[in-house]
Amino acid sequence: MLDLTFWAPVMAGGVLAGGSSGLLSVYIVGMRIPFLGVCVAHAALAGAVFGSVAGLDGSMLLIPALGGAAVTALSLGLADPRKLNMDANVIMGLLFSITMGLAFVGIGLFPVLGRSDNDVRSLLWGSLLYCRWSDVWLMLGASLALGLFVLAFGKEMRAILFSRADAQAAGIRATGVWTGFLILTAVLMTVNFQTVGGLMIYSLITNPAAAAFQLVKGNGRAIILAIFFGAVSGLGGFLLSAVTDLPSGAVIVLLSAMLVGAAAVVRALLRRP
Amino acid sequence: MSDAALQLDDVIVRAGRRTILSVDSLCVERGELVGLLGPNGAGKSTLLRCLLGLQGGVRGGVEVLGRPVGDLGSGGLAGLRRRIGYVPQILPARSEMPLTVREVVAIGRTGIAGLLRPLKRPDWQFVDEWIERLGLAGLAGQGFGEISGGEQRKTLIARAMVQHPELLLLDEPTANLDLGWRERIVRVINDLHRSMPLTVVLVCHELEVLPTCCGRVVVLDAGCVVADGRPDEVLSTARIGSLYGPGLAVVAASGRWAVVPGEGVHA
Repeated sequence: MLDLTFWAPVMAGGVLAGGSSGLLSVYIVGMRIPFLGVCVAHAALAGAVFGSVAGLDGSMLLIPALGGAAVTALSLGLADPRKLNMDANVIMGLLFSITMGLAFVGIGLFPVLGRSDNDVRSLLWGSLLYCRWSDVWLMLGASLALGLFVLAFGKEMRAILFSRADAQAAGIRATGVWTGFLILTAVLMTVNFQTVGGLMIYSLITNPAAAAFQLVKGNGRAIILAIFFGAVSGLGGFLLSAVTDLPSGAVIVLLSAMLVGAAAVVRALLRRP
Repeated sequence: MSDAALQLDDVIVRAGRRTILSVDSLCVERGELVGLLGPNGAGKSTLLRCLLGLQGGVRGGVEVLGRPVGDLGSGGLAGLRRRIGYVPQILPARSEMPLTVREVVAIGRTGIAGLLRPLKRPDWQFVDEWIERLGLAGLAGQGFGEISGGEQRKTLIARAMVQHPELLLLDEPTANLDLGWRERIVRVINDLHRSMPLTVVLVCHELEVLPTCCGRVVVLDAGCVVADGRPDEVLSTARIGSLYGPGLAVVAASGRWAVVPGEGVHA
């Protein structure tokens, strides 16, 4: 029997992380930029490292982590791949290498300063099992902000998904909307990282949309199905892990990957004459 | 107010040390359909990008639909672009997101509707009207990535037309299409220009793409305008030979033009 006082926030966290990451996955997979997760994670790490070097600790480290992730997202949004003559993934690779370099320089300062880097590491590699209601409220706030953004700018995001350059040529404020989306993505991912861990988030910003795109056509249906697959992965993976006593993050990742496989099988069956 | 849909004066565009476009003067009146011809690298697409305010490093005067492109801020540029339908040369890479044909056409209404305003019923009716008009009704619910190249071109023309544009910029709209699809697209362009007050700039490599209603051809070579006039004045075998090499002859029939191997002009 589950002790709901302990496990309720864990389950709520799983559903929220899965659902919100599922929504993100539609745009991240749609734009073919799954590397964004790694890029944002290292930017958040760099922010947290220098926050810690500056004397912050505990939950206060979330502030510089969010700052690092948001500044990287802002840079990525304002960088026009066409003007720079670089693919978005190459720009992300460049930002990733810079933020990773900064993070490791900062980590190298801890022994010099005689401090531990445990706080910094736990910020990015949290575990769903340690998710508490305070974390859930934070995740809920960030998820609602992203949901409202997509509701408000859904048609612009759809145009950007098709082609950012074409959207600009059609008089759509693509740069502003895309930058806003990236900043919210960075905030949501940083909040989710420190609560449920990186491994789980990396899979959930890819697999739900990869499964949904196999089964439906159209922006709206894909969004709803990806959120559903994300939430099912988050909650279902947790319940399976509770029953089997296997690590929750790994089970969630594997479940979300199995959903992609199942969707591909269903698609193949539906296409058979 | 000027009747010019677009006016270029002393426009120079450089890429590094190389001049990729140098136009002393070019004016297209409202309602004209102008064919813009020239070999690869002649500056045709760059000229279209200048008109849309998408090209960096532009010197000189570019005025489109009465607005000076170089003086416009991002808001002004976005407003101008909403009055211009643009069909790009290169089809967008197949998105992982399976957007339907109807959703892709609706992108043309997105800028018109404005930020924070969803597309309303009249917008969707307009989208469906153009889907029907371009013969795409049976494909409206299909994924854009699942339809043929010709159908994709038509979808992008429908997307441009739902903007209710005053100026239509078509950048090689028949690239990589077979003969049948090329003719269908040419018919669509002809019908559009005949049925509404629309200025069209049609960039193409092949003379066959010029529709019968094309009353003017501008030829670009190495970034410069080398000829400008009626098709029968401009499309000579000598000019085609100077642009593309010898051994080619221009053929004219029923208001359409073509190039075949050989010598002389055949009418």
